[in-house]
Amino acid sequence: MSKAFKKAVSAILGLTLCAGMCACNQTQPGTSASGEPDASGAVEASGADADTDAVYGGEAVVGITQEPSSFDPHTAVAAGDKELIFNIYEGLYKFDSTGTLNPCLATDCEISEDSSVYTFTIREGVTFHNGDTLDADDVVYSLKRAAGLLDSQDGTALVTELDCIKDVEKSDDGKVVVTLESGNSELLSYFTTGIIPDGYDNCEAAPVGTGPFMFDSYTIGENVTLVKNPNYWQDGLPYLDTVTFKICADMDSGLLELQNGNIDIFPYLDSIRAEQLDTTQFTIESNGSNMVQIFALNNAVAPLDDARVREAINLAINREDIIEVTMGGAGVELTTAMSPAMGSYYDTSLDGTYSQNIDEAKALLAEAGYPDGFELTVTVPSNYLVHVNTAVELASELSAVGIDLEIEQVDWATWLESVYTNREYESTVICLTSDYAPYDVLQRYASDSSDNFINYSNSEVDELLAEIPTLADTEAKTELYHQILNILVEDNASCYIQDPTTLTAVSVRLTGYSVYPMYVQDMSQVKVVE
Amino acid sequence: MSLNTRQNLKYAGLKFIELIATLFVVSFLTFAAFSIIPGDTAQIMLGPNASPEQVARLRTELGLDQPLPVRYITWVAGAFTGNLGDSSSFKVPVISLIAQRLPVTLGMSILALIMVIAVSYPLSVFSARRPGRIGDTICSILGHVLFAIPPFVLSLLLIVLASGVLHIFTMGKYAPPEKGFGNYIASLALPAFAIALPKIAMTFKFMRSAIIEQNASEYVKTERSHGLSEARIFLRHVLPNSNVSSITIITLVLSDILGGSLIVEQVFNLPGLGRLLLTAIDRRDFPLMSGMIFYLALITVILYFVSDILASIADPRIRLK
Repeated sequence: MSKAFKKAVSAILGLTLCAGMCACNQTQPGTSASGEPDASGAVEASGADADTDAVYGGEAVVGITQEPSSFDPHTAVAAGDKELIFNIYEGLYKFDSTGTLNPCLATDCEISEDSSVYTFTIREGVTFHNGDTLDADDVVYSLKRAAGLLDSQDGTALVTELDCIKDVEKSDDGKVVVTLESGNSELLSYFTTGIIPDGYDNCEAAPVGTGPFMFDSYTIGENVTLVKNPNYWQDGLPYLDTVTFKICADMDSGLLELQNGNIDIFPYLDSIRAEQLDTTQFTIESNGSNMVQIFALNNAVAPLDDARVREAINLAINREDIIEVTMGGAGVELTTAMSPAMGSYYDTSLDGTYSQNIDEAKALLAEAGYPDGFELTVTVPSNYLVHVNTAVELASELSAVGIDLEIEQVDWATWLESVYTNREYESTVICLTSDYAPYDVLQRYASDSSDNFINYSNSEVDELLAEIPTLADTEAKTELYHQILNILVEDNASCYIQDPTTLTAVSVRLTGYSVYPMYVQDMSQVKVVE
Repeated sequence: MSLNTRQNLKYAGLKFIELIATLFVVSFLTFAAFSIIPGDTAQIMLGPNASPEQVARLRTELGLDQPLPVRYITWVAGAFTGNLGDSSSFKVPVISLIAQRLPVTLGMSILALIMVIAVSYPLSVFSARRPGRIGDTICSILGHVLFAIPPFVLSLLLIVLASGVLHIFTMGKYAPPEKGFGNYIASLALPAFAIALPKIAMTFKFMRSAIIEQNASEYVKTERSHGLSEARIFLRHVLPNSNVSSITIITLVLSDILGGSLIVEQVFNLPGLGRLLLTAIDRRDFPLMSGMIFYLALITVILYFVSDILASIADPRIRLK
């Protein structure tokens, strides 16, 4: 009996190892096929038009690990909600998988010289899921609702970034004129907010948009089902009849369901899980995530309030090793607060600012008065394996300079309140996500920003952040963004580690899926392989 | 009214007061634990990218702007009049969420209980009839091993075996009873088995020793000396007497099964009460969490209540204590 058991165990181990190795070998070509983002942020679109035989019909099941919170396009803030309703609602503008902002329900936008008036021309021939035809009134209503300007609202914006809108009107020639309180040249990417029918206020229970898919049902704890919009304004799209977002208890049970064929598409895999998959059954699609994984150092607590200590930590860690350990190498090293996926807004001269230098780190610590190092607590959310593993690797690297890193795991709810909101922590590891807009990436470093959970404060950065929205010239703005990034490095605001590559497993029975450098699951191009 | 009935009623009445008190203590402990742990429903639902204004608006919308003690008192008043209130994050009645999940957990628990009784009874009778023989030794060793494996580990092993190697089970595919009873049972059989196995081992252990103990007792010896047939002794005397302790064991097993199913359905990715409870805790959904714990406590307490009453009927000595 024990012999048979041993045999069985070794067979299982052998199979697992084989599968792991196969996956290793074949992940790489798959990765390059779907396109790595280059410095300009451009990704080769794995477009649908490559295949001439379009296959219509069928269904796809996407695995998600969070329960939806909101289906209202203006109150949905959580990443997991946004990526789902991307298929239901559309805005005046819309991002594509390369991170480019394209006209969508507007055909174009004129921005006044002082950036205080945005005039949109509304696309014709678009119908809502309820059969209504899209016109300027719908847009005026939606934008007013998002900006909190309806008579029934108290004046605070539902979409915080649109709080700067003073008025939205329909012009005589059917255009929509948005007037801002003051010039803001950085607002166009927020007009991606969903447009809903005039007067409609039941998006939470019965979402109505113009997107490629229509809301069908939501069963709490089980799934969200979307069905094809037969009247979608973009000819030939979408392909699938039904898309189901299935809620999985966690990454591991989702992975098991994927392997059992219950799920077709499963995003946000780490490399360890991705390598377990059978490459004859799944392709691994990947793209830069435009996320910033940060070893956040609370600038307000000793000894991290000393810039020399923060610099020492920056010099003591080895980013390449961390990426290897946590993502199997699938990540881009970061030295500053922005991912290279942001294109020209990122300053490439900052690449490789820090290379590991233990002696220099020790010297800096001695200068700051900690020749023997110190004890530091890192509070990590236990539901994110990548961050926990990063903390473990950091602990071993920092021990070389005498810093004793104690890892404290907390659940997500505790992390959000204690660390992010109340800032009661010493250090933490987390991925910062933002809209695909440079201002959104950097606004958190303003002294008074509610997102400034590292308690960073530099009046020069505050001034630059105040100046940028008043500039119309993109080049001038880019220059200021570069300045902010450089100041953040000089100040050693925190340790920036990596932009982890988003890995998504897609069943070989589907094609046309592309990974966006933001939280989006675009199902409109996905189709069943004949 | 006879003395006996009065005693019975008094006993039941005392137990009933105990039941209410237990429920109250459980609800208070839930509230106390909840007020200590950090976390805010609105913040969790919106994620870190939400602005403080957005969080504040959602808090108001969800009715979270009231302090927790106030919400607790409202909740208690509701709960003891049969109204568990609305979930704060799903905005639907707690009772409807529980009702939606109940077929999974209840079905799995009943299935597991049937497995436990169907396997452990015959097995313990078989083992106890010939203690020390090879069959009994194998059963006992196997029992000890299975008893020691926690259900979630067993679940993982069973998933690997049934779905990875044998391909006879699809993970996470739950078929609701209205879509065919056969499929419903089939989708719950493996998780039920994972819960049942350690409990089979436990019930087997207790039943086996109860039967052996009865077999060796003086009155059985007397009966044997009087020439009663082994079958008659066993069926009429040994088994009924062993049953007194088995009522208690089965109750224990049942509450264990309920607890175990909460964990096992998480491993099997089944949409049952366990998943809902975890979601409630993850989201710091106070009405949902309290409602569920109240409900689970109620089931457990009622189980013990019924079992105590049953045991007192089976063995009148219990009442007199």
